[in-house]
Amino acid sequence: MSISRPGHQDNKKDATLSTSRIAVKPFPAIRKRITINSTEIQLFARYINDLTGIHIEPSKAYLLETRLGKILEHESCDSFTTFYYKAKADTSKIIEKQIIDAITTNETLFFRDASPFELLKHKILPEVFDKRSNKSVRIWSAACSTGQEVYSIAIILRELLGPVNGTNLKLVGTDISDAAIKQASYGMYNKFEIERGLPRERLQRYFESHGENWKIKDEIRFMTSFNRFNLMGSFAGMGKYDIIFCRNVAIYFTLDDRIKVFNKIADCLEPDGYLIIGSTESLTGVCPRFVPKRHLKSIFYQLR
Amino acid sequence: MQALKILVVDDDPVTRSLLMKRLSKAECVVETAESGVEAIRMISNTYFDVILTDLMMPGGVDGIGVLETAKENNIKTEVILITAHGSIDNAIVAMKKGANDYLQKPINFDELILRLSKIQNLKHLMKNASDLRVAMETTEQVSSETIQHLEMTVAELQERMLTIRKTLERRDLPPGERIRMALAG
Repeated sequence: MSISRPGHQDNKKDATLSTSRIAVKPFPAIRKRITINSTEIQLFARYINDLTGIHIEPSKAYLLETRLGKILEHESCDSFTTFYYKAKADTSKIIEKQIIDAITTNETLFFRDASPFELLKHKILPEVFDKRSNKSVRIWSAACSTGQEVYSIAIILRELLGPVNGTNLKLVGTDISDAAIKQASYGMYNKFEIERGLPRERLQRYFESHGENWKIKDEIRFMTSFNRFNLMGSFAGMGKYDIIFCRNVAIYFTLDDRIKVFNKIADCLEPDGYLIIGSTESLTGVCPRFVPKRHLKSIFYQLR
Repeated sequence: MQALKILVVDDDPVTRSLLMKRLSKAECVVETAESGVEAIRMISNTYFDVILTDLMMPGGVDGIGVLETAKENNIKTEVILITAHGSIDNAIVAMKKGANDYLQKPINFDELILRLSKIQNLKHLMKNASDLRVAMETTEQVSSETIQHLEMTVAELQERMLTIRKTLERRDLPPGERIRMALAG
């Protein structure tokens, strides 16, 4: 190492411990955790809100420190302010993408809350396929995270229709996080992800074991497609969907942004289409264009 | 923390009893099997946190066979393989098939205890996470029932308000009649 800093006694030790990539980019001399101050909290809260719509309360500074700290260290920044300007100046947007991956919560599981999938199987899908007998059916999982919801829908479709012909069905998952979309498209899950929500019989039938991991079988994977998409952006070119899942993502947005998102969703739902939101979410005071309807234990929404 | 329940599988009686003694001393609950076949029978009846199995065993079911059955039976069971010196390739095959770790003979007991305590820590963390998840799911369940009820009630009330408003605005009826009709719903 040619760079030597006064007072950096551990320099040599660091270099031997680090990987080669880090060795050429030495950490700042003091390795203690970098904290975020109140101005920086505002700076990042605003930046992240602009990027993703996610609203971060000033009291949740720890969220910024724990989730962004690693990227900051990797970029050899000595403060959150330097890190902010470095991220903004990065025209390749690589840092920005890493921030998005780190700040989004990928909490999802197969068949999360059983009732929407029962609703899909016993009411919505039979109705939709009845109405669209000679037209293709389009389903969108907005904010699909690592793909569990999309594959759960695909499994329901497969069980309801038998081997599915891709031409009359479009099942799309979108998410803002590149990393999440990458995992979703690949369809590989570790044992912790698999353990959650997936009954053994469905695991054996629709997944292949890859050592400790499980990969969704191609017959299911081929029914789906995944794209990166930001709900804060324009919905132009999205087309119309018969069924939209938008569950547990708007909870991270401000009321204003929730209003905007659900209005855009209303614009791309077929007049007789179905919207399913998270089981603890409500559209009261958010989007009066939707009417809630009850079917057994679940609620779905249709346009007025 | 709850004691780890361990199954030791080895055709060599000396290794079996040595492992039994050491692991019991380390406060593990230990059972033994003298062949892969016996191990498979035991795995299908009882859950073990960890299976410590010899890789090479006579009788048709080797360590890999035990590993495969264990993982099929319960994904939470961790398997550590014991390999003869120089059979690293087999150990790597086993790791790819989902073994947690492997140890070379002669067994270094400090190393084994260290690995087991790591597994125990991991299991403890997983238990915490799963408790938190249960708490979260219960909260979610209860609040979702409340929210859904409110959502439907608000929607019904809005519809009723709308009907009442329309009735009250009817110009073709005298005011008294409009009010009577509005109240009647």
